[in-house]
Amino acid sequence: MDAALSTLVAHLLDGDSEAALAQARRVRASQPDGQRLLVEGLEAAMDGMSAKCTTEQFNLLEIMLTGRAAMAVAREAFPEGAIPCTRGTVVIATPQGDVHDLGKNITRMVLTTKGFRVVDCGKDCPVAEMVAAAAREQAFAVLASGLISPVVPLVRQLRGLLRERGLSNVVVVAGGAALKQCTAEALNVDYVARDAFDCVHFLEGLRR
Amino acid sequence: MTGLERILAAVHFTPSDRVPVVPQIFGHAARIAGVPLDRYLTNATVLAQCQLAALERYRHDAVFALLDVNVETEALGSRLRFPRDGYPSVEHFAIEHPAAVAELAIPDPSKAGRMPVLLEAARLLRQRLENRVLVAGCVLGPMTLACQLLGAERALFAAVDEPEAFERLLDFAADVAVRFGQAQLEAGAHLCVVFDPSASPAVVPPALFRELLAPRLRRLCDALKRKSGAVTWLHIAGPVEPILPLYPDCRVDIANIDYCVDVKRARAAIPRLCLDGNIRSLAFVDSEPDEITAACLRVLEGAGPGFILSSGCEIPLEARPECVQALVDAAKERSSQL
Repeated sequence: MDAALSTLVAHLLDGDSEAALAQARRVRASQPDGQRLLVEGLEAAMDGMSAKCTTEQFNLLEIMLTGRAAMAVAREAFPEGAIPCTRGTVVIATPQGDVHDLGKNITRMVLTTKGFRVVDCGKDCPVAEMVAAAAREQAFAVLASGLISPVVPLVRQLRGLLRERGLSNVVVVAGGAALKQCTAEALNVDYVARDAFDCVHFLEGLRR
Repeated sequence: MTGLERILAAVHFTPSDRVPVVPQIFGHAARIAGVPLDRYLTNATVLAQCQLAALERYRHDAVFALLDVNVETEALGSRLRFPRDGYPSVEHFAIEHPAAVAELAIPDPSKAGRMPVLLEAARLLRQRLENRVLVAGCVLGPMTLACQLLGAERALFAAVDEPEAFERLLDFAADVAVRFGQAQLEAGAHLCVVFDPSASPAVVPPALFRELLAPRLRRLCDALKRKSGAVTWLHIAGPVEPILPLYPDCRVDIANIDYCVDVKRARAAIPRLCLDGNIRSLAFVDSEPDEITAACLRVLEGAGPGFILSSGCEIPLEARPECVQALVDAAKERSSQL
């Protein structure tokens, strides 16, 4: 990686939106290829944050700051519209009864900067709506993020509802403070992610 | 010994007849009584009756005059939405930016929102139980109230983008907690749980806790102790190990530890502070009673003196009563083995 991109990654990891954006503009001035900015800048920063989170304390604030800076750079790299989707579509939501969507929003940011197209069904979302979105958007995965325990029985329904729609091949991933206390078997899902990056790694593994 | 005496013995590391046991039963008391949660959260008499019925059933060592995490923010102008049988959530936050805290006044706990419900519940429980079991109230810690006033995402970004305004917001939140907490002690609570899940290292870096939150928690705990010599109980969920060494300086007497914290490591971090925890909350929903018993015995093996056997966080509404009973029985049976 060249020095200009390394500097960009460092600003992103610091969560410094202004510095990251200024550096992204400098990179763009000499290298107009937005894709390179995405792969060598944003994805590298997210990989760095992921590594940091596995070796140090994981905290939402630092990830939010990096995510916010990354989204600002992404808008600079692709001013004409959406960030290129290279890894497929996923549906994400915080299920009905739960309005704590911070973890969901962070996961959406990380997935977006890693090249996934993320269809965000919001918070307090009926599971039937998540399944309908998966069908409509041809998603390969449905992600449920839950902080409180009443969502557990709803998450258990997802796989059956997907099967009823002929979507047995759609992967179901759960995460969040309440859901990560459970096993995948207990939730009837394919995977329980420890955090946003663990979720990304699991999905990346499926798309290789 | 009474439940209160057992808990105070654990706080002071003095001998006791058995390990105190405090399942964190809040709304679960309504659920097992067949009472809709919205009634429990809005009616002091109903709350007190449900807590007493749960005490009669499980025979644990503390009851909670505790509604939900929205009491303070509602009293300060946030609009809540009450689902039919669940905890309320904030539909519209009281302020949109941290500087707007200047427009807010410290609420009068005898009048504002549902604060009087909590005070009356504390009064009723203490009147009925006197000093037989501990009667706990609850205030939100400064970080969590900041998040509840502004919305978590905005509050967290404000901590970085508008540090001075954010600190004023934290100061205000601590002032609210002091006033509300002291009112709870006056009403009859033996202590106030300072509930501050947003201060968790899972949410904010330990450095932010040390610089911004610890001094406010210390001011809050000092004020609660000054009021009646009350014991202070700090409840922060998640992986708190990096911030545990700061608790003594925050004037904390009881430190809650969640299921993800190793009890022995927590004990090593704060050897002279009473710990409570740390059975996984969801285990009360998805495990069998004998698994709860086994988990309790493992925890008690590593805990040593100065320990209150408890769930790591709230007992879920839908917890299986036989699992809650297994927690209480484990404390009693384990003590008879000692």
